Amino acid sequence: MEQSTAVPISQSKPQTQRSGKIKRYMWGYLFLLPAIAIFTLFLWLPIFKGVMSSFYTIDFVKGDSFVGLANYKTVFQDADVLVSVKNTLYYMGLALVIGFWVPILFAVSISEMRRFQGFARVAAYLPYVVPFVVLYGVWRWLYDPVGPINAVLKSLGIGQISFMVDRAWSMISIVIMETWQSFGSAMLIYLAAVLSVPREWYEAAEIDGAGVWQRIRHITLPAIRGQILLMLMLQLIATSQGFQTQYAMLDGGPNNATLTYALLIVRYAFVRQDYGVASALGVLMFFALSILAIIQFRINNRGGVES
Amino acid sequence: MKTMDRGILSNYDLKKPATRWLYYLMNLVILLMMCCMVYPILISLLNGLKANKEVNSFPPTFLPKEWHFENYKEAWNYIDLPLYFKNTMMIFAGNMVVTVLVLGLASYALSKMTIPFKSGIYYYFLMTLFIPATTYMIPNFINLKDLGLMGSFAAIWLPAGANAFFLLLLKSFMDGIHVEIFESARIDGASEARSFFQIAFPLSIPIFATLSIFVFATAWNDWFWPSFILSQENKPLSAAIRDFVLNARRLDLNIRFAILTIVLIPPVIIFLFFQKFILRGLHLGGVKG
Repeated sequence: MEQSTAVPISQSKPQTQRSGKIKRYMWGYLFLLPAIAIFTLFLWLPIFKGVMSSFYTIDFVKGDSFVGLANYKTVFQDADVLVSVKNTLYYMGLALVIGFWVPILFAVSISEMRRFQGFARVAAYLPYVVPFVVLYGVWRWLYDPVGPINAVLKSLGIGQISFMVDRAWSMISIVIMETWQSFGSAMLIYLAAVLSVPREWYEAAEIDGAGVWQRIRHITLPAIRGQILLMLMLQLIATSQGFQTQYAMLDGGPNNATLTYALLIVRYAFVRQDYGVASALGVLMFFALSILAIIQFRINNRGGVES
Repeated sequence: MKTMDRGILSNYDLKKPATRWLYYLMNLVILLMMCCMVYPILISLLNGLKANKEVNSFPPTFLPKEWHFENYKEAWNYIDLPLYFKNTMMIFAGNMVVTVLVLGLASYALSKMTIPFKSGIYYYFLMTLFIPATTYMIPNFINLKDLGLMGSFAAIWLPAGANAFFLLLLKSFMDGIHVEIFESARIDGASEARSFFQIAFPLSIPIFATLSIFVFATAWNDWFWPSFILSQENKPLSAAIRDFVLNARRLDLNIRFAILTIVLIPPVIIFLFFQKFILRGLHLGGVKG
């Protein structure tokens, strides 16, 4: 890491050693100063303020007033908080069940394609560049009671499904849509890992009489285990904070069925103007998520050593 | 591409009927997947060309019965697209400048200069990666209000410099540049500023180019945060689309699709054009996601 071996050069000039050193340090700090200022002002300050304002009632006009633990009390008495925690866990679980295996499956399949592999890659990644607002607009129509998905269902003899309005379907619809959009990027990461598995391993396994499934089960999947774990953590961290899709598509409805925890924070802040409670919710979320972050750090570090 | 002598399946496997059918089935599934990926994109383009009555008909048609190219003209004039496009580009350009100046200089200092307490400062930056952004989203909002930045572009530009992930990528890229170059520059009497702008920055163009893709994607995509902290005349395209198109009550569906398609086309074209480059840069992103 430390490649700066510039020190001896200045030491070869003893008479200017001291002033040269100070001058060089000055340049270094000068270069770091903007970053330190910006990280302090726009990251550490808000983080610190969040903890502080969770004990205050924030009022932009009359000024803030200290309320002790009242904000936390509000959080634990609000029935919506429990609903939102359940919804968030449900959302994380659904994203695993519906979305997590999809990129792995397609990465293994596409790696086996003898022709047109490039097309498959590009097509899989294409939705990832679709802007969110376009995604919401188009999928609202796709999910429409008279939209194309219901047209297909009807022609298959399945009845109409109200993807957005039906409480049982709304969260599932959101997860399907997000999987459509984002599985391509995870797929490419898996694909790179699958393609870097030495061909000789398969050759040897085949000679030893291993079938196709056995080869996938005992060679391919263990080889991409690191990526799978990493993507699992990243997905959990992302979905535990998810709220934008739920907010834009359904505003937490129908009847709070898609009200995630982060969306509740937004609601407290921008609908009820209760920034103190919103900050308290944020602090509580931080403690819940730190556990996930620590695990991710461990995995990341191990991955870094391997590669 | 690698030569496909064999993958998991060997040529011998493919001669077995059962495996052969499996292979065909797999290709069929992939083909189906590709259609599912492309359909929503194509249909929004085509729906923008249909008469409003046809878009609302059931079952939906794929190709328009009559082609209404004038829809796109109407869509273009529905909201002030050039203004919002300009705002998005302002955000992109400003974020990029801040990234180069703030993070570039900092990562150069961290990577190539001798400074006391260097690792301490580095951890001061990196620690922020472990605090999920959603948890301090609201305090961040309050903070921007307290600083008096609310409504102006500065509220987006300046925080763009507080990106520990970019710093990490930049620093590890600069770690790969040989230190001898800078030593000889120092011997020749170049100042540190000159070393950065004339040596480190030009040599780091590949990583800055990769970052510019991320920065562009953020500027083009982000609608939630800008819609709360930017004033109306500074809002980017995506926030404007959300306000005036997605939430519009009286807007014909075909015009709506035409507007969405206009917003969709630039990133798709950029992607298809720089496809190889972007997919390679993605692996950097994949390290963190």
